Amino acid sequence: MHLMFKHSRKPSQSIDIIDVDVTPVMNLFIILIPFLISMVVFTHFAVIRFSLPANETGGSATASQKPVLKLTIVLDNTYILLTHGETVIDSLATTALKPYDALLKDPLARCRQNPQFTDEVIIASRNLVTFESIVKVMDLCREAGFSRIGMTNATEDPDKGV
Amino acid sequence: MTMKRPGSLIHATQQVIKPQLTSLIDVMTILLVFLMTSFSAEANSIVPAKDIAIPLSTAAEAPEIITTLQLSKSTVSAEGAVIAAISGFENSDSMIIPELESWLQDDKRAGKDEILLQVDKDLSFNIVKRVMYTCSNSGRNKFTLLVRREN
Repeated sequence: MHLMFKHSRKPSQSIDIIDVDVTPVMNLFIILIPFLISMVVFTHFAVIRFSLPANETGGSATASQKPVLKLTIVLDNTYILLTHGETVIDSLATTALKPYDALLKDPLARCRQNPQFTDEVIIASRNLVTFESIVKVMDLCREAGFSRIGMTNATEDPDKGV
Repeated sequence: MTMKRPGSLIHATQQVIKPQLTSLIDVMTILLVFLMTSFSAEANSIVPAKDIAIPLSTAAEAPEIITTLQLSKSTVSAEGAVIAAISGFENSDSMIIPELESWLQDDKRAGKDEILLQVDKDLSFNIVKRVMYTCSNSGRNKFTLLVRREN
């Protein structure tokens, strides 16, 4: 006579541990991740459209046409001038401590609210100004509400005018 | 005394080894979330030249594929081919760049007078104005500047 002693489980231990089958999830990840890696973009590009002023392009302005006065920003490495024709609206000294957005934000906003000025601005740059600075000024002009931006060269000889 | 029956098979306890997938699932989930935030449905149709540091800007307009001029610190290139060296014309009295002018004359694309400029951010305006003058002299008066979008 065999006495078989069975270990009887307590009722609380009779619950089976359920193993989650992660294989379908892994399959999904293995398909999704290479696809997303191939589509990832870390650098986004944009464009800025600008034009040359009408009197800069060859033959587009005749001698009989009067040039239309527009707000002009003269860029130099040491100062910025805001002019309207022969009138100097504002003169700002640029330093390392005063970046362009701190200098130009308020004057541009005031000019934009002035009905005398249209939504067009000309950026006249001196030869040694870096292109990065010009792009920053373009951004500030666009944020101030100037939708049309032109670019031209500023005369190197101050005696001849700005 | 227990007796083994002859020929009985001893059932060796087989241990099934299950790899721990929980950590792998965690890594995959984080990677998936990161990739989904960086996902972009619009393809980058413009590939800037490697030797040009594109300036940052707040502009948001997407670029189109048009005639592209690449202005690095040393050369002016078009469609990947070097046209002129900057040292050859930066101090010239003439505003026209002859090599660029002849390339633009050969590249008369019907109805396209727009040019996309990829300019290195540290390049001086002196170089850019000469390129723009040459382009406008050849009838290309509309310019588009490629910038990196600021976050």
